[in-house]
Amino acid sequence: MGEVIVITSGKGGVGKTTTTANIGTGLAVHGKKVVLIDTDIGLRNLDVVMGLENRIVYDLVDVVEGTCRLKQALIKDKRFDGLYLLPAAQTRDKNSVSPEQMMWLCDELRKEFDYILIDCPAGIEQGFKNAIAGADRAIVITTPEVSAVRDADRIIGLLESQEIRNPRLLINRVRPDMVKRGDMMSMEDIVDILAIKMIGVVPDDENIIISTNRGEPAVIDNKSLAGQAYRNITKRVMGEDVPLLDLNVSDGFLSKMKKLFGFKSA
Amino acid sequence: METKGIVFKGNAEGLVIVIPEDYAYEDILQEIDNKVSKASRFFKGAKIKVTYRGYQLTPSQEQEVKKVLDEKSGAIIESFTREEVKTPTFQENNRVKTIRNFFSTSSDEGNCKFIRNTVRNGTRIDFNGHVVVLGDVNPGAEIIATGNVVVLGTLRGMVHAGARGDKDAFIYALKLLPTQIRIAEAIARMPEEDIADDGLVRPEMATAKDGRIIVEQF
Repeated sequence: MGEVIVITSGKGGVGKTTTTANIGTGLAVHGKKVVLIDTDIGLRNLDVVMGLENRIVYDLVDVVEGTCRLKQALIKDKRFDGLYLLPAAQTRDKNSVSPEQMMWLCDELRKEFDYILIDCPAGIEQGFKNAIAGADRAIVITTPEVSAVRDADRIIGLLESQEIRNPRLLINRVRPDMVKRGDMMSMEDIVDILAIKMIGVVPDDENIIISTNRGEPAVIDNKSLAGQAYRNITKRVMGEDVPLLDLNVSDGFLSKMKKLFGFKSA
Repeated sequence: METKGIVFKGNAEGLVIVIPEDYAYEDILQEIDNKVSKASRFFKGAKIKVTYRGYQLTPSQEQEVKKVLDEKSGAIIESFTREEVKTPTFQENNRVKTIRNFFSTSSDEGNCKFIRNTVRNGTRIDFNGHVVVLGDVNPGAEIIATGNVVVLGTLRGMVHAGARGDKDAFIYALKLLPTQIRIAEAIARMPEEDIADDGLVRPEMATAKDGRIIVEQF
């Protein structure tokens, strides 16, 4: 039986879709059968990030309304065999799907796939309720900004009230230099407020923007630090114990030398 | 004339009979007899202490009145004595205290709600009584209690204690870093300058005094 994981944040623009694409691709690299569901009806993006936009024929709303069979709507990824996408409808709205229909959909997909990743829309309305309806686990995304952390806190409360216990926290777009200067919340500050376990930290990396625009998830790019972070997170999703990534590798040559000789870097 | 006659009053301890100074003793006895007989159904089976003020009865007259009360009211009269006159301030303090105990509106007693998790953003807890949180109260969470609020964790959200006007209510937290706190009608917010959260636990208590909120280490 597969596992249904919802990726949510409350606030928009913190990286839900990017994370869904990267973890999903990461799992497929490990040979897992994975399906990604975009529940952001009316504002779909996951297909673009995956580079599959031009292959869409049927979508999520077609499936729940019975216009097509579930298998017909699943789009196979261009790179990995076990990876599929169920896109959202673009010309409908969130009320076109009910939580009961989502639960049915998740149960159907559970039979076929190892992991079902649900890309949740921003907000806490109907779209959010649909996205979490069938989920077993949740990954809550936040960035080191007060507003994003506030929204994450609200989301964690709502997940707990829906019996989705022990959500895991992913802190995205961390800039170690800013944290060091005291201009950005540290991981410790965020975990202290949200009081849930972390699943990983992803550094702010311009490669992510490049890869997202190209429709190629960063997780398959060996040179990208964010890609490395997502590879580690993927392993943690599969239950492996991987230590947190040291984000300070972008230090200059001099500070690396200083470290080597035991000086404290400024 | 009725209103000018003998008046029965209830207080925290029992019954007070107010007897006008200019009454004749026979009239006092007669009127108490009448009043008590009429109200005997009300008194029946009660156990009360009775005091009187105004007219000065002699000890033997006191005995006679007590006998009338005993026989005609149907209540068990534990004692019948002249009300003790105390110094005004002491009497005032004492009165406040006894009324509190009698109606049990003390701000240190009553219903209590325990919350055994973090109160997160968007959660509102409305409770008629005291609230104890075994966890944090995060920004965006609201706790509104008619009594006291105790947070055994970090208070970062909004708390309103004494929401129905109890100025004696207090707010206590192991780390007090709230967005805003309210006690009865008083409102206070954190100073604008960032207070560094040094991670140390420094329990503090907020109380209201003269319409202002005072925070002290506790």
